[in-house]
Formats: sequence, C-alpha cells, structure tokens
Amino acid sequence: MAELWNTIILEPVLNSLIALTTMLGGSFGLAIIVLTVVVRLALFPLTVRQTQSTKAMQTLQPRIQELQKKYAKNQQKLQQETMKLYKEAGINPLGCLWPMLIQLPIWIALYQSIMQALAATPENLLNLSQHLYSWAAVGNAVPLNELFLWLRLSRPDPNLILAILVGGTMWVQQKMVTAPTADPRQKSMTSMTTMMMPLMFGFFTLSFPSGLALYWVVSNVIGIVIQYFVSGGWGYLRAPSAPRPAQAPAPGQKPVPVQRISPTQKPSKTAQKATEESKTLKNASDEKKRGLFGR
Amino acid sequence: MKRLSLILCLIALSLLVIGCTGTAWEGWSGFTAADDVLYFGTMDGRVLAISPEARSQKLSFPSENEWSFTIPAMSAPGAICGPACVPASPRATIYATPVVVEDLLCVGIYAGENGKLVAVDRLAPGYTEGVPLRSKGEWAYPGVAKSIGAIVGTPVVVEDTLYVGSSDGKLYALDAIYGEKKWEFDTGGKIWTSPAVEDGAVYVSNYERKLFAVSITDHTLLWEIELPASIASSPVISEGSIYFGTFDRNLYAIAINDGSEKWKFEGGNWFWATPIVKDGVVYAGCLDHQIYALDAITGEKLWQFVADAPVVATPVFSDNLLVAASESGEMYILEPDSGVLVRSVSIGYQVMGPLYAEENIVYVHARNRCVYAIDVQSGDTVWEFCYSDIQ
Repeated sequence: MAELWNTIILEPVLNSLIALTTMLGGSFGLAIIVLTVVVRLALFPLTVRQTQSTKAMQTLQPRIQELQKKYAKNQQKLQQETMKLYKEAGINPLGCLWPMLIQLPIWIALYQSIMQALAATPENLLNLSQHLYSWAAVGNAVPLNELFLWLRLSRPDPNLILAILVGGTMWVQQKMVTAPTADPRQKSMTSMTTMMMPLMFGFFTLSFPSGLALYWVVSNVIGIVIQYFVSGGWGYLRAPSAPRPAQAPAPGQKPVPVQRISPTQKPSKTAQKATEESKTLKNASDEKKRGLFGR
Repeated sequence: MKRLSLILCLIALSLLVIGCTGTAWEGWSGFTAADDVLYFGTMDGRVLAISPEARSQKLSFPSENEWSFTIPAMSAPGAICGPACVPASPRATIYATPVVVEDLLCVGIYAGENGKLVAVDRLAPGYTEGVPLRSKGEWAYPGVAKSIGAIVGTPVVVEDTLYVGSSDGKLYALDAIYGEKKWEFDTGGKIWTSPAVEDGAVYVSNYERKLFAVSITDHTLLWEIELPASIASSPVISEGSIYFGTFDRNLYAIAINDGSEKWKFEGGNWFWATPIVKDGVVYAGCLDHQIYALDAITGEKLWQFVADAPVVATPVFSDNLLVAASESGEMYILEPDSGVLVRSVSIGYQVMGPLYAEENIVYVHARNRCVYAIDVQSGDTVWEFCYSDIQ
C-alpha cells in the first residue's frame, strides 16, 4: 500500500518539486510557491464545488435547527425530515466532503514531498534517493539549497513572522466561510474552528521546517483569493454579529430588509412560516445552481 | 459544522504525524581501533570503547579498557520548543568515525544545526558535564559553550593536524593535540563529506557542486571545479586521482594535480558509500543495489555484483576478500578479481555505517544498535554486542 502511494502520488509530486527547483534557478522556496499555486489551480473546480456546497448547506441551517427542535425526541423522524429537506433543496449532504476528500491525498503528498525534499538530516537525504527519478533536473538539484529570503527552509523560522502569517491567513480564510450563529452550542464549535486552527498551525510553525510553513501561507492566501471570487466578497469576515437563526443570509448576499407590516396586514402564522421555508429552500437551491463568479 | 471541525482536526493531526515521520538523526559511525580496543559512536549519542577480546568472552561491560562516554546535548539558538520535530536542545549524535591521535580520541558531533569536535582521553575519558579535563589533555572545539556547524564527515588527521568539514561550509584545520584552530577555509556550501589529504593538499567538496584543492602549507586555493551535481560520497585518493560519487548517479575520477576529469561511470543511483581502491581497481557500492569494480585508470567496468538492497555502507578488504553489506543487513564476501560470491552472511538488521576490518574479522555497526564481529573465512558471527541496554 505504501509503495503504491509512493509510486502513484508521492514520487510524481516530489520529483516535480525538485525539477521545478532546477528550472527556477535552484530556489526551493520559489518552487514551493509555484507548485502550491499550480496544484491549487488544478484543484480549482473541486474547491469551487466544495465552497458552493458548504454555502448551500449553511443556508439550510436555520431550517435544520428548527427540525432539530421539533423532533428532538424522535431521531429517526429528524433524520427523515432532514434528508427530505436536503432532497427538496437538491443538496447532497456529503457534497462538501467529497471534494475535500479528493484533495486530501494531494495535499498530503505535497506536504510529504516538501518534508522529504528538504532532507534535513543525513538519514533523510539517503532516504530521498529511493524516491527520485533519473531526470538530470532532479539529480543536479539535490541536495536542495534551503535558503530563501530570511528563511532556512529545513529549520523553523526563528522570528514570529511566518507564524503570524500562517495563523493570520488561516484565520481570515476560516472567518470568510464560517457563518455566525446564535445557537450557543454551534457558537462554541464555530469559535473553535476559527480560532483554534489558526492558533494551532501558528504554533506548529514555530517548530516545523519553514518550508512547510511557506506552503501553508501560500495555500491559505490562494484559498482566500478563491473564496473571495467565488463568494463575491469577504463573506462572513465582514459580518458584524450573529444573525437571528431564521434570517441568516448567505455570505456575500445583502441582508433582506425587514418589512414593516401593519397589524391589519399581518399574515397568518402558517402563511408566514411557509414563505420563510420556501425562501430558505430557494436560497439553498440557488447557492447550488449558481455558477462560478455568478453574483 | 461539527463534521467540518472534526475533519479539520483530523487533517491537523495527520499533518503532525506525517510531518514528524521524517527520520530523526541517529548517526552511523564506523570504527577505529588502537591497542586492541575498538572505538565508535553509538546511535544514542555516546562514544564506546569495547574490547573484542572481552566481548568474545562475553564479559560484563565495562571490562578492562572499556568505557562509555555520553556526548553532552547542545543548545540550538533560535529553535523554539515545539511538538516534536525540532527540540530546543537537540540530542547529539555521531555520523563521523572517531579518530585516534596519540592518547586522544577525536569525535565529530552532529546536533541538527550545530556541531563541535571533542577530544577525550581514550584510556579513560575525564570529561564531566560537557567540560573537558584539561589535565588529561582533553579539549573541545570551538569551546564548551560554543559550536560550529554540524559534523557528518569523518575528520582526517595528518601530522598532528586534524582536517574536518562542517555544515557551516567551512573546512577547519585544528591542532589535533591542543584543539586550537590553525586555519579555516570557507567553501560557501554545506560539507557533509570527509576531506582527503595527499601531497600537501586537502581536497574537500561541498553541497554547492564544488570540489576544492587547498594547500595545507599556505592555506591557499590550488584549484576548484564545479560539477554538474553535488558530491554524494566522501572522496578517496589513489595514484594521482580522486574518486567520488555524485548525486547525478556518476562515479568520477578527477586528476588531483589540476582537477581535470579523467573518466566518469554512470550507475543506476547515487554512489553514496566511499569507494575503495586496491591494486588498480575501484570498488564502489551503489544505491542501485550493485557493487561495481572499475578499472582505476580507464573507468571500464570489470564486473558488477547484484546485492539484495542498496549498498550504503563503505565496503572493506579483509583477508584479501572484498566485504560489502547491503542496507538490509546482508553481507557479501566476494572475490575481488571476479566478483564471485564466496559466502554471504545475514545480519538481519539494517547496515549503514562503514565496515571495519582487522585481519580476518569484520566489524559491523547495525541499526539495531548492536555490533557484530564476523569471521570472513568461516562466515560465523564471532560475537555480538548490543549497547542499548548498557548505562
């Protein structure tokens, strides 16, 4: 299994990275940046699909919360109703997971390649020999020059610059996609995702080779750019506070102004609820149908 | 959201695990011997002196003339304590084979980014808490609290001068008795190979594809050449030529007087092990699982032997037989003229450190932290000594 992984995924990425270093005048730092950009561009359609699926799911959240309240004691019914809701909105609940799962092996390969190519110890360098092609561009580049800007790519950045960049870009990216919520349970989960992950990766940066941190920064920046254009803006990054559950707008959408209704015109509760439901389903469906840069 | 958080956490964890799977440094020191005692660096940061006689009698360690000396950990400026990959005080280990200078044993230390050279009394080290015992003539270069770049290549001692290359790109020439620097030469690129000294010049390569010849009398550069790829193996000099392997899978023969190329031979992978030259033949182990015998003058292939795994360890001659070991721990005893296999011995554990021979016994430092003494004539393991349990 490990051999199959190495042959099909790791070695092509690793050798491309090293050959790219030769083509870029021996700068491994530049090669990391260029390969990260190339891989992210190649996975662009998947990223867009994932972003759209996530957003569509978020649009349905108020309805799902309602269902959770309504069928709190009947899990089977809750599941049925939830699936029905997804079906009506034309959403596959696993739709946002598949693109992520497909991308994961490529990210891991890129990550492993950077670690292996840096060959920080004699054992690592020796191990590298078993994964290299006989290309001249590869043999001539090894062992790689680890100096890039102020960094020694096989060592952690002794300054805090890279850690701040990693944490900061990750926070922005997380914040752009994470919808504010009024539900306290979800709120704690959301804050964990938006705060803990950037803090964790910022901390990793202090002890991991800076070549990897460079890859994280570039990957995050590209993620932010893609998110910006797909969502048509900064998404939830600019959302000031948690909206009321039933009125959560999709990222990038203008909030619907509250209509003033006179007491005489007040519609019945059932009619009001039906209108809200159809609006939510329409929003979710629209999110799904909306093409790239479609707003 | 819950699922997303779980996935993100899983990704972070897997990154941690994958990121730290890169092999930690352990070292692969070879042996040196003096007065019937073997000295070598262990994979757990110690220098051991073992007596083959005591080991063959299975006496408890340490017996007479035997000792264990722990290399003190070195601080790493700039490193911040983190999860696993780069500890703040990296453990020291030894890749370079120690060298004997009179009553001193000189050891090159590798501690990630840093390194130093220490000389201990080889009869009974007096070093305590990282401080050399001056009364015994022990020393540390550049000092107790100072360091240079990490040392991987074995130092060479010629006429009381110790030459060693360092990861900081410098070739150091030290007084081997007092540990004082005589001179240094900056090559401008990481040095992980041993220097070679011949006819008043020291030859050293760096990882910037360069090979330098430096005069040992006036420390000036005699010549330098730039190769298509960096030099992978330590060089060996014989009959006016310097032989080494490069990362573009070639084995080179270069004239030592002017640096001109005599010939090159292409293998199927790196020639990582130091080649050995005997009777006009270059014997070179390669990571393509082969052991090649080449004519030292023309580079013509005389024979090749296929091993079961990459050949990392430098081969050795014992009792007029060529002894090589594959990375998987299979040892091959070959006829040097024909490459015919006389016998093979299975150690069963990885072998990376250079082999060492005395008469008909070959000593092997395996990755299971054991030393094996193999009788070349019979193929028997005369004794084995595992050091991981000894204090």
